Amino acid sequence: MNRPLVQNVRLFIDGALLSYIALFRWLRPAAYLASKVIMPLNQILFFTLLGMYATGRDNASFYVIGNALQLTAVSGIYGVTMSVGGDRWDGTLPYLFGTPANRAALFLGRAFFHILDGMLGVVLGFFWGVVLLGLDLSHTSLPTLGLIVLVTTLSSSGLGLLMGCLSLITRNIMFINNTVYFLLLIFSGANIPLDSLPLWMQSFAQGLPLTRGIAAARAVIAGQTVHDVVPLLGGELLIAVVYTSLGYALFRWFEHQAKMRGTLEAI
Amino acid sequence: MNLDRLRANIRVVGYAFVMTLKQNVIDGFIIFTILIQPLIIALLALWMMDDQAASHAIFIVVGSGLTGLWSSLLFISGNSINVERWIGTLEFMVAMPTSITTIIFGKNLAHVSQSLISMLLSYFLASIIFDLPLTIARPGLFLLSLLLTIVAFVSFGLIIAPIFVMNPGVQGWQNAMEFPVYILSGFLFPIALLPGWTTPVSYVLAPYWAAKALHGASSGESSPDSILIDLGILIMFSTVYILISRRLFKAMLHKTRVDATLGLQ
Repeated sequence: MNRPLVQNVRLFIDGALLSYIALFRWLRPAAYLASKVIMPLNQILFFTLLGMYATGRDNASFYVIGNALQLTAVSGIYGVTMSVGGDRWDGTLPYLFGTPANRAALFLGRAFFHILDGMLGVVLGFFWGVVLLGLDLSHTSLPTLGLIVLVTTLSSSGLGLLMGCLSLITRNIMFINNTVYFLLLIFSGANIPLDSLPLWMQSFAQGLPLTRGIAAARAVIAGQTVHDVVPLLGGELLIAVVYTSLGYALFRWFEHQAKMRGTLEAI
Repeated sequence: MNLDRLRANIRVVGYAFVMTLKQNVIDGFIIFTILIQPLIIALLALWMMDDQAASHAIFIVVGSGLTGLWSSLLFISGNSINVERWIGTLEFMVAMPTSITTIIFGKNLAHVSQSLISMLLSYFLASIIFDLPLTIARPGLFLLSLLLTIVAFVSFGLIIAPIFVMNPGVQGWQNAMEFPVYILSGFLFPIALLPGWTTPVSYVLAPYWAAKALHGASSGESSPDSILIDLGILIMFSTVYILISRRLFKAMLHKTRVDATLGLQ
């Protein structure tokens, strides 16, 4: 086993754990319960009830599935962005850029716990859906649904990594986060069937995380198999890779620019 | 209260109002809360309604505007005292001869008034972009309802601001308090969709009566008498909120002036 690989794995795990503990120290049990358990439940209830009012009670599961999957964006966008941007706000960015540590391990580690957390959020969302809104999972292959949740969480975390880099150059990242999160409620198909949107919006939606994941989850819950949703899952995974790569490239570019121009504190 | 004092207080409310508006126009979070979020909710609702959108257009405009009002009250008015603590001006404010309640009233008035923009934007969205017919069936009663809604929301803001500043633990629940009021107050769908046991909870929420009066006046589905009853209840709630807020502000001032612990929380 070569030494750099072991070092990078250790860096990835330690970095993931420490950044989560350090940057989310504010996340006390009550705050976690409010933001990651109660708020998601309320959001699922609101949009499902709105959907039931608009299209009838029979369509409740359409909204439950869409909004449960959308919860990956809570961890993926807010959590990951705060993990990447937190170093700037807490003044530790210069130290981070000063270390010889492997940047990819550092960067990707920031998303690791939020991926686990995001998956837990979706499981909880489905739990609320089954218990409170009559979501029927009797025809569902649960391992396939689990795989969809994992891939969708990866793709929304990829978007989070990209947006986390933006938090290194703007003070208004929460404005951007909030706007993107709410726009995903429209574009991802969580609440509106994509074919009822204007054509340009349908095309735009295909380039976003969640869109294929939500479609795949709906298909699997309706009884389709993993083979039926492979193209959707493949597409979602590709989106995850593209957004993560873009985020990483941007992260390296910002580091380079900051060092070249001496703008580390000013960006 | 003599006339000079009243005039002075009105001037303070006016300054607090203008100052707050100026600060808010450059705040990204506030812009999102009062403009972007209600607009996205209106868009979602219009698309979700699909072919029923035309008949529900005014309902959606009013309902999405109310979501902006509530979110603004919860996140912005709720922090109207906390903001002073964060920037270190709370101690100066409580030491001034002007009552802090008067200043916070002016700030909350600005927050709630500016969030009416969300209703206006939703109106233009539905009317111009979606080309939907929008008429307010009882304009006089609608305006009166809007005015009393502002008063009720500002009064409610006078309760939550001192609660949040004295109990950071409660403030931690802010995120969890946004959607329940959208749901229980019937902003975008009737509360008849909810289980029966939630109805009494809706009845003790001023936003429910505000939504009922505004929806009733805009759609014309409620009789004038029914709307006036809703408004009477709204006035009652506003009065109760103001009475409660007096006690809360007293407790907060005690913490600040006597215990000197408020800024340390």
